Parts: sequence; C-alpha cells; structure tokens
Amino acid sequence: MAEAVILEEVEKNFGAVKAVDRLSLIVPSGCIYGFLGPNGAGKTTTIRMIMSIFYPDAGRLAVLGHENPLAVKERLGYLPEEKGLYDKMRVAELVAYFGQLKGLEPHTARLRAKEMLERFDLGDWLDKRCEALSKGMRQKVQILITLLHEPDLVILDEPFSGLDPLNRDVMRDLILDMKRQGKTVIFSTHIMEQAEQICDYVVLINKGRKILDGSLAQVRASGDQAILLDYDGDGAFLSQLPGLRRVNDAGKQAELFLEEGADAQEVLKALVQRLQVRRFDLREPSLHEIFVGAVGGTDDA
Amino acid sequence: MMRKIFLVARREYVENLRTKTFWIGIVSFPLIIGLATAVPVLLSKAKEARSYAVIDHSGFLLQEVEEEVRRDDLREVIETLAAVYREDANRFERLPEVLRQPTLAWLGIEEEQRQVLVAELAAVEADSMARAKLSENVRGRLDALGLALRQWWQGVSVQELEDMDLELSRSRFVRVEVPAGVDDPQAALNSMIKRDQLFAYFIIGPDPVESADQCEYVSNNLTDRDLRRWFTGKASRIVRQRRVARERIEPEVARWIQQSLAFEGRKIGVDGAVEDVGFKDQARQWAPLAFSYLLWISIFTSIQMLLTSMIEEKSNRIVEVLLSSISPIELMSGKIAGVAATGLTVVGSWALCFFLLVVVVPGLMGAPEDFLSHIPVEPLYMVAFLFYFLVGYLFYAAIIAGIGSVCSSLKESQNLMSPIMIVMMIPILAMLPIGQNPNGLVAKVLSFIPPFTPFVMMNRAAGPPALWEYLLTTVLMLVAVVLAFRGAAKVFRIGVLLTGKPPRLQEIFKWMVFSEGAAAVPKEEES
Repeated sequence: MAEAVILEEVEKNFGAVKAVDRLSLIVPSGCIYGFLGPNGAGKTTTIRMIMSIFYPDAGRLAVLGHENPLAVKERLGYLPEEKGLYDKMRVAELVAYFGQLKGLEPHTARLRAKEMLERFDLGDWLDKRCEALSKGMRQKVQILITLLHEPDLVILDEPFSGLDPLNRDVMRDLILDMKRQGKTVIFSTHIMEQAEQICDYVVLINKGRKILDGSLAQVRASGDQAILLDYDGDGAFLSQLPGLRRVNDAGKQAELFLEEGADAQEVLKALVQRLQVRRFDLREPSLHEIFVGAVGGTDDA
Repeated sequence: MMRKIFLVARREYVENLRTKTFWIGIVSFPLIIGLATAVPVLLSKAKEARSYAVIDHSGFLLQEVEEEVRRDDLREVIETLAAVYREDANRFERLPEVLRQPTLAWLGIEEEQRQVLVAELAAVEADSMARAKLSENVRGRLDALGLALRQWWQGVSVQELEDMDLELSRSRFVRVEVPAGVDDPQAALNSMIKRDQLFAYFIIGPDPVESADQCEYVSNNLTDRDLRRWFTGKASRIVRQRRVARERIEPEVARWIQQSLAFEGRKIGVDGAVEDVGFKDQARQWAPLAFSYLLWISIFTSIQMLLTSMIEEKSNRIVEVLLSSISPIELMSGKIAGVAATGLTVVGSWALCFFLLVVVVPGLMGAPEDFLSHIPVEPLYMVAFLFYFLVGYLFYAAIIAGIGSVCSSLKESQNLMSPIMIVMMIPILAMLPIGQNPNGLVAKVLSFIPPFTPFVMMNRAAGPPALWEYLLTTVLMLVAVVLAFRGAAKVFRIGVLLTGKPPRLQEIFKWMVFSEGAAAVPKEEES
C-alpha cells in the first residue's frame, strides 16, 4: 500500500472555531512525516481525526486504506502529548492491559509486556507500581504501550516535549528504528529543528490550514538560498548591513538573506571586520525561515 | 465492543478492590452495627461506681432505702437465676447450691410470697402476718438455707456478681459514711467533693413524709443524673408507703390509684380480623426505612467512587491514550459497569453479614426458634433492594459520568455536584415522614419523580403501593435511565478531552441538545 493516510478537504469545527480547514495531505507508507505548526495550528485535532477520536465535519479521510478509521484502530499506535499512567497499577499489568485494549490476547499481551519492559531496561520494575517510576521511565513505559501491539502506523504528538537531551536522543533513535522496520511514523512538533533532523516529509499547518507540504528537500528548495553564519561578538549591526534583505539573528548564529544581485563575498568582508566568524555557509534556508516566510505571507493576504 | 467494555470494567473492579475505600466500605456496615450495640454496653460497664453520702435528718429514711436496695438487688439476682433455670439448665446446674435452692423455691410461689421471701433472705424484717402466708414448703427451705444465703449475700463481692452477669445497684452506686466526729459534716463532704473523693451527697429533711423541705442533692456533676434518679425513686417509694399507711389507705387501693392507663396496640390483619401487634409487625413497619437508608448510602458511595475514578483518568491524562484504543462510549460504559460491580460486592457483603448476624450467629448461640421468626427476612425486600440499587445507581452514574468527564479535579467537580447533592438530600429528608405515611400524597408524588423513585418506593414497601404504581414508576425510571445515558454519552464524548476550566451547566445542556460539533467547545490549547 502506497499511502498510510489520505486527507481530502477535511474540516473540523468547534462551534464558530475552525480547528481544521479544508486540509488535504498524503502520508506515504514507510516514511517519517512531520506535522509542523505553531501552537493551536490544528495539529492535534488532525491527529485525533486520524485516530478516530474526533470525526471530520466534512471531507474524506482514509487510514491504512480504510475509509472508516475505526476498522484499523488496532493497527495504530498513538502517543498523545498529554499522557499518563494509572499510578496504582503495576507496570507489567498496565502495559498488558493497554495491549489487550488494542486487541491482543491476554496471554500474548502479558508475554509481550514482559519482553518489551525487559528490552527497555525496566525488567526490575515489572511488579512495581507506576507511581514509583521516574519521569524518564514513565516516558519509556508510555512509548512501549504505543508500540506493544506492533502497529503499522505510529502517531506521536509532540514526542520531544519535556524530554531531556538524553531521552530526546532515545526518542529519535526509536523513531528511526520504527522507520527501518517499515512502519509509518507521523509526529507533530512546533520546533522546526527537530523536524529538519529526521523527517522525510513535512506539512506546515497554520490556523487549521495547510501552508505547504512535500518532501523535506522539496520544501526547502521552495525557499531562497540563505547564508548560515556562526559568530562571536555583537551582532546588533547585522540588520543594517547593506546587501541583506532579511536577517534572522539568534545571538550566536544567524541566517542572512541576500538582496537580489548582492555579493556574498562583500558581506563576508564586512562581517570579518566586525565579528569573529566561525562559519559562513551558503545553503538552503531552514524550515524555520520557510515557515516564518510562509506564515507571514498568508497573514498579509 | 462488549469485549472492550468488559476489559475496562474488569480493570475498574480489580483496581477498586485494591483501594482502602472499598475495604472501609465492606467493614463499615458490620462495624457500625457492632459499635452501635457494643458501645452503650461498654460505656455503662466502663462507668466507675459513683460514691455518695447521705445526711439523714429524718432518722428513718436512709435505713429504709438501704433495706429496699438490698431487697431489690436480691430480687434481681433471683429473677436472673430463675431466667437461667428456664433457658440454660446446664448453666443452672453449675451454680452454687446456696443459690439454686431459693431460686427453685421462688419459682413455685406467688408474687406476694416472693416479696416476703426476698425480704427474709435480704435480712430485712418482713411483717409477721406476711411471713405467716408463706407455705410450709417454702418456709422449710428458708429455714434450711436462709442463713447460708444471707451470709453469701452479705459477703459476695461486686466482682463476683459481675462475673455472674448480674448488674446490681451496689456495683453502680457505693455509699460512703459521713465522716464522724466533725463539727460540720456538710463542710467535710463539700471538701471531699472538691477533692474528687465523693461524687455527690444527699440531705434528707427532718420530715420527708410531710414535705420535701430541706431535701437537697449536692454534686459538681449535674449532667449524670443516674444516681439522683435512682435514689429519688427508692426514697419516694418509701415515703409514699408511709403516707398510705398514715392515711390508713389499703395498700391495694393505693396501688390501684397509682396505676396509669395503658392502651394495647392492635392492627387489622389480612383477613380483616383484629390482631395483636407483635415485634415482627413493628419490624416490618420499620424495615423499609432501614433498607431505604441503606440503599441511599450504597448509591451515594458508589457514585462517589465513580466520580473519583473518572477524574483520576482525566487528571492523570490517561483518557487520550485510552481513546486511541476504545470509543468514549465503551470507556464510559465500562467504568459504570465496573463501579456497579464494586458497589454490588459491597452491598452483597453487607447482606451476607446481616444474614450471619441475625440468622446464623443467634442460631449457633442457641437462641430459641421464636427469636428467628421475629427477623423480617423478606426476600421481596432483598430483590427490590437490588433492583432499585441498579436502576438508581445507573441513573445517577450516567449524570456523574457526564460531570466527571468535564472536570479535571475533584475540586472543580464540587460546583457541578452541588445540584445533584441537593436532589439526593430530598429522599433522605422525606424518609421519616414517608415511613410513617407510606401511602400519603407526598410519598405518592415523589414516587413518580425518577431521581427519587428508587428511594421512595423502597421506603414505601410497608404500605405497600399498588401494583400499577410499581409498574408505572418502574417504566418511568427506566425511561429516565435511558435518557440520562443518552445525554451523558453526548457530554462525555465532548467533555472527556477538554482541559482547563470546566464548562458551565448551560453549555453542557447545549451539548446534550445539539449534535456534536454544533455547540461551541472551548478552544483547546495545543502546544
């Protein structure tokens, strides 16, 4: 099957609020797909429609080839952004319970729960209550609940939020691992840098509407070339520098956009005089820049 | 679908079994019954003997009160022993000979002779005319054993009497002598009271037969009136006897004058004939009240349990994970079923405990057949109780599910819960009036209002209501349950994923009336 998820002109309203507005997109099978957008863009609502927690008011939706997402609910794995555990339940019991809810036989569910917990270094915690787990361990348990029934499509809502760098890497490796196993992974984030690192495809959503989508390369190519600058010193003058159309300055790193016909060499010369330049790299613009540009554009319209 | 509902219900049930609340619920009923019977007994046992003194200015009253007390106590002993003889022959055989003989004599004689016998045994002078009335047989036993019993009675300690399960005034009230050789005995007693060596003292006036002039009771504890009432009773009886004698009134006449009028309770039986009212009838009148109260408690605790568990899922953010596997309706039904099973377990354990307590335990302890037949074990009440528990619980559970789904903490739910609480208070307030008048207008009207139906119909069971009333109220109740579930399902679907401030009642009603999506839902935070 070529497409894991298809959305056609999907709409979802809450009273007068349009949470999702005529959204169309295609998620190919076996890829990592990023839902990008600021807070309140409609990412979670879209995900909930794919998970058949909400139903679209209009439009067509197909998940794993089925028009009725309920039919494939047991082949989906979902890690919501807001997630918790039953504190009083024992860890292995809890994992097996969620496995059974996903249609696993009681015996299989228990067996796999034990296996998975041991694989995630939680073998000593099988019979402990969930309240005893540390935050990192809770995250692991929540993830393996998502994966226990070996879903074909995994949806992760803001999987990186609240993770420390170490666990962030663990999560990233997991996502890559799922792709290697041929699963489709959709994840949502509002932090573009994360998407840039691992996504094959992205869709940019703002105010319920799609801004642009495609493979990461396509999306990037749609923007203008930019100079990535790493520097030390006071960069306050950057925005006044001649030859630059726009500056996206973060203090130690900046993205510079040249005016039509301006010479990158001239800019570099000017910079070297006033800053300690550590990197000067002409390349495709960041997702962040593309997003800011695109959202700014729609706002003007 | 059923499989997932079952999974959710089973988890709910198993988890509830692990909570303290559940076990407190199980234990509370036998505990309350046990405490209600044991505490008053223990309290009266634990009460230390009250010491008192008497300053007697009349010269005769104190002595006669003492004699009266001895007579009454001894009579109490013999009556208790007579009861033992009738009910537990083995135990009677184990009693000392000195106690058995007078008891046997007692059993064979008339009331008048009993008074003489007691007086004789208590070493109080009985008038010789009365003594002459004693039969040869009794007098014979008296002469043989009288002295021995008299000695036993004077020497027996309070502890020994208590070991024999005899509750006598001498174990409750102990008289101490007024200090001799002091100028002002009253001052001495006052200081004893101050030092807590004395509970109280009485002053008997110079002529108590004439009037209560100068009779006083002095104590620092005026809340415990047992001693005062007890002593007053004894003294009044003696004074009354003296007055009767002084006016030359026949004692029989005096007794007759003092007798109050008693009305015997009767009722109309099934066949229309007038019957005596027994304990069983009274129990039958009051049993529905108890059942109704129990029903209320069971439903109330069950829905509290449901609310707590609903809110736990919301505040722990488990709901969304659950909803990725099951539908909101499956989740709601599962939880309601799980808590229902928990509630039924608790109620069932109470019923079992009640059964053990009133049927098995007395049977084991050799209670007479007769006692068992007094217990109103009406199977119909039990069936009605279970039925009303189920429908009442389902009705309120649906509402609670709706409320629980929109609140993120117990505190938030308080506001929405208060109307429910007020509604639930009405059957409690109406309970006693309905119990007294099960077919009255209030009872009838309330029966047809579904939120009250289970409690009120249970309450009216002694009436009993007409068959058509049972049928109509049941139909209404079932319709109400279905409607409540429909409304709750709509609210639940929308509410369960809401975070932040709970919506107001008007908004919730809008969700119920309009289809999903038509009503405004507070915008959700996405991050």
